Amino acid sequence: MTLKDFRPMMERCSTCLNCRWIPFDKVKSQRFGENCPSIVYHNFMTYSARGRFQLAQTLLDGNADYSEAVTEVIHTCTTCGSCDVTCKICRYNLEPLEHNIELKASAVEKGKILPRQAEIIESLETELTMLPGRAKAGRQDWAKGIQVKDLGREQAEVAFFPGCKYSYEEGLQKVARAALQLLLDVGVDVGVLGRRDTCCAGRALQMGFRDEFTERAESNIAEFKKAGVKVIVTPCSDCYHALKRQYARLGMDIEVLHTVEYIDRLITEGRIKFTKTVPMTVTYHDPCHLGRLGEPYVPWAGEEKKILNQVHTWEPKRPRNNGIYGIYDAPRRVLASIPGVTLVEMERIREYAWCCGAGGGCSETYPEYSAWTAGERITEANSTGAAALVTACPWCESNFAKAVDENGQGIQVLDIIELVQKAL
Amino acid sequence: MALANEIYQAFEDVVGKRNISQDKGVLESYRCIMSQSSAHYGPFDVKTPLPQAVILPGTTEEVQKIVRLCNKYKIQFKASTTFWAAMGYIGSDYAVQLDMRRMKHLEIDEKNMIAVVEPYAIGAVVQAEAMKVGLNLNLPGVGCSSSVLASTAGWVGFGPTSISMGCASENMLGAEWVLPNGEILRTGSLGAGSGWFNGEGPGPSTRAILRGFQGTTGAMGVCTRIAVRLHPWPGPTFIPTRGQAPAYRADLPDNFKTYTLCWPSWEAWAKGATLLHESEVIYLGHRQFNMFGRDIKAAMIRILNDPDGQLADLNTLLQDEELKQANEDMQRDMQVVLAGMTRRDIEYKEKVLDRVLELTGGWKSAMMQEKDLVDYVLLYLLRLGHKNLNYTLCGAYEGNYGLSSNVYVSTSVMEEASALKDKWAKETKAFADTGGDSDMGSLCIQGGGGPMGWEFFINFDAYDKSTIKGTREFIDETQRWMFKKGLGVDMGRWNADVRRPDGFNFTQDEQDAMLLKWPQPVIPAYHWKVREAFNPNHLGGSYYRTLTPSKV
Repeated sequence: MTLKDFRPMMERCSTCLNCRWIPFDKVKSQRFGENCPSIVYHNFMTYSARGRFQLAQTLLDGNADYSEAVTEVIHTCTTCGSCDVTCKICRYNLEPLEHNIELKASAVEKGKILPRQAEIIESLETELTMLPGRAKAGRQDWAKGIQVKDLGREQAEVAFFPGCKYSYEEGLQKVARAALQLLLDVGVDVGVLGRRDTCCAGRALQMGFRDEFTERAESNIAEFKKAGVKVIVTPCSDCYHALKRQYARLGMDIEVLHTVEYIDRLITEGRIKFTKTVPMTVTYHDPCHLGRLGEPYVPWAGEEKKILNQVHTWEPKRPRNNGIYGIYDAPRRVLASIPGVTLVEMERIREYAWCCGAGGGCSETYPEYSAWTAGERITEANSTGAAALVTACPWCESNFAKAVDENGQGIQVLDIIELVQKAL
Repeated sequence: MALANEIYQAFEDVVGKRNISQDKGVLESYRCIMSQSSAHYGPFDVKTPLPQAVILPGTTEEVQKIVRLCNKYKIQFKASTTFWAAMGYIGSDYAVQLDMRRMKHLEIDEKNMIAVVEPYAIGAVVQAEAMKVGLNLNLPGVGCSSSVLASTAGWVGFGPTSISMGCASENMLGAEWVLPNGEILRTGSLGAGSGWFNGEGPGPSTRAILRGFQGTTGAMGVCTRIAVRLHPWPGPTFIPTRGQAPAYRADLPDNFKTYTLCWPSWEAWAKGATLLHESEVIYLGHRQFNMFGRDIKAAMIRILNDPDGQLADLNTLLQDEELKQANEDMQRDMQVVLAGMTRRDIEYKEKVLDRVLELTGGWKSAMMQEKDLVDYVLLYLLRLGHKNLNYTLCGAYEGNYGLSSNVYVSTSVMEEASALKDKWAKETKAFADTGGDSDMGSLCIQGGGGPMGWEFFINFDAYDKSTIKGTREFIDETQRWMFKKGLGVDMGRWNADVRRPDGFNFTQDEQDAMLLKWPQPVIPAYHWKVREAFNPNHLGGSYYRTLTPSKV
């Protein structure tokens, strides 16, 4: 689709501005009722999904230019999809998230990009990672010392795909190591891509760099096919979304699981047994790309059809993707199965969870805004009285680790795999 | 005319660089597309004018300084928070838009049953905070996404709970009001330094000037804080929910009941409504789901309650014999919620309700007694969080056959109004054909009884310009029909004399020409004098209707 194809949606958006809030049935307080980091931080209506529809219309009509302010509006969307969930409480024919991404892609096509984005994309093209400053050569360092199959040379049923953040970031490498070791310890036939392992490029798509994403994705799909794997397991929620949803769009038909789903299966099958108690009260952050954006991809091709004169529907029925089939229960089941762990929930959870602020490339392009977004979540986490904030995404973890709440307090941030490891 | 640098700088000095913009792209997003939410005078295929700047004040003092600058430089201004309808947008080409979303403070005074709110405290959050201490507020029919302050101080503000809690004019207490000339007036008890508890005094009572019945929609300055009356809430501190989006459902204790009441004729319906008014047993009364249309409401209720449901399912569901029967059953219906303060209280209310049905030949819809539907309806009506379903069929709607009147008047020609709409839908195809009667509205617009407020929903496609025109023509036809019937002004035309079809304010000459035709032109001529006292530079837009006295 092109931006022009979204014009019916732009004109059919009814200006209700519900896209600024979590579903109203779920609002428990004023403090934690809003959902969109972009408008909460910047305040102008233009930053809401509604505002973006109207901005796009204005740009298409030639009534405004890609000024510095407009470019900023476009690129501050974290593509977290919370507007999409709320919109679809009542509307059946708008796709705010798809539109927000298309608006970014359209800006990128016109060269309206941010200097930091240029660096990230250059790094993707040269070093095959979206973490500028990291070299291709060091990508496998995280797995040093672990005896694991290299899928370039051997066959395995499962491919473990750590993603850039876990591969390179020193503080996070231990999570990837723990996850892989756990799979090996329980006898999973698992391998890694080794020298062929590269960035999933999901964040390129989130930033609007569609061609760069497609190029990398197609290359990765070819590698997975060559390796003959049946399942891809990743501990990174961003990679999970890219592999499960976006690669599927490009034709990949390999099952994709997040590590937390795989661990949940292994616990259910009795292959993981906990031997230690972890006396800890924790709260769980649903990563956007595992939760509401982690729904299965269902291919669809069709067209609009009006019934009853003016009621517009899709022929055939179009997948709704309103977040309800995201991965919410698996991490909660894993936490519930760890002896001693008590889960206390935040107010904004599951399909209406608040974003960590890292999405859409914002942790690199707008670090102050991104840190503020993470700080909002830490405030919410601290309000539960939990001793730790547990999540299942390295981007979230990294963002939370650097941020503080409204009182200047941080919180212990753990990957769910770390908690599992403590209880083994 | 663009704002001179000096003027822009003066505004920026008040709110800071971060809270003001004159970027064209940003400004364009502050134009109301009047096909979508013209608020009862369109629909039109135009946008409201482009503001010269958007300003986000953070305090009352900042608002005051901005208004004073507007007076100094003779710039029109309009404040809005949730930007739902045209009335919140500027109406001239030399105006600034105030976006009040930074002002969202909210304070609940449990002891005195009061909420003091700033503009961006919306209904959903005020309700959530009030319920924590056993209180609740009247949410207007537009839903919980609306600003409590705006709907209370500036607009009609009646809704499903008005039958037990009253409408906006009855719930407004003290107010802090930045007058159009930049002075701050504190009304009611607040003006005497006695707190927020009373709108009338000790201290100045200005309720009639500030809001009247319909509200002046910001044409008379900017309210920065008001107090609203809160009411008892006999439920939990938060309504627990279950289910998947969009079909969330409430898990409430059994002192809450909801029924869809049905009657065999409109006469019986009106009698039932009157008895329900008089018996004072209803916590909430609304004709809600009929907004989709008499012929499709049961199917729509099924779709909304199926997480995988889609509008495309309508064709199949409309063939379902059970649902056809349910529509037949609910042809003349209304939804009510009973809330018992004690077990004895709910038992009493149920008995009274049953007796009213017995006396009027009414019944309870069987379909709507399914457990999941009961819990869906309770959540829907008590939180009013799904009001954007108004738009779900086509993306845009406007009301017709809108009345605020005695139930016997409004129901007496219901079938005729319904037939008129049905005929136009079938012949012109300009709007959704859903069975004529798509009436919805509150059982009450005054506390404890009185007239009800309702409208037929006309669903059209804002993307298809011919349907905008066709809908407007039908609303004009409805108005002609209503005049013929002696029913007065259709809600679809309530605001026809406050803003021009091109989205601009009327000039004074244009207003004079219209208002001279009013039955009592002396009234808007009197309002001129009020306006002169409060708004000498005429900066607030034309929603405050005035007639030049010399022309009477």
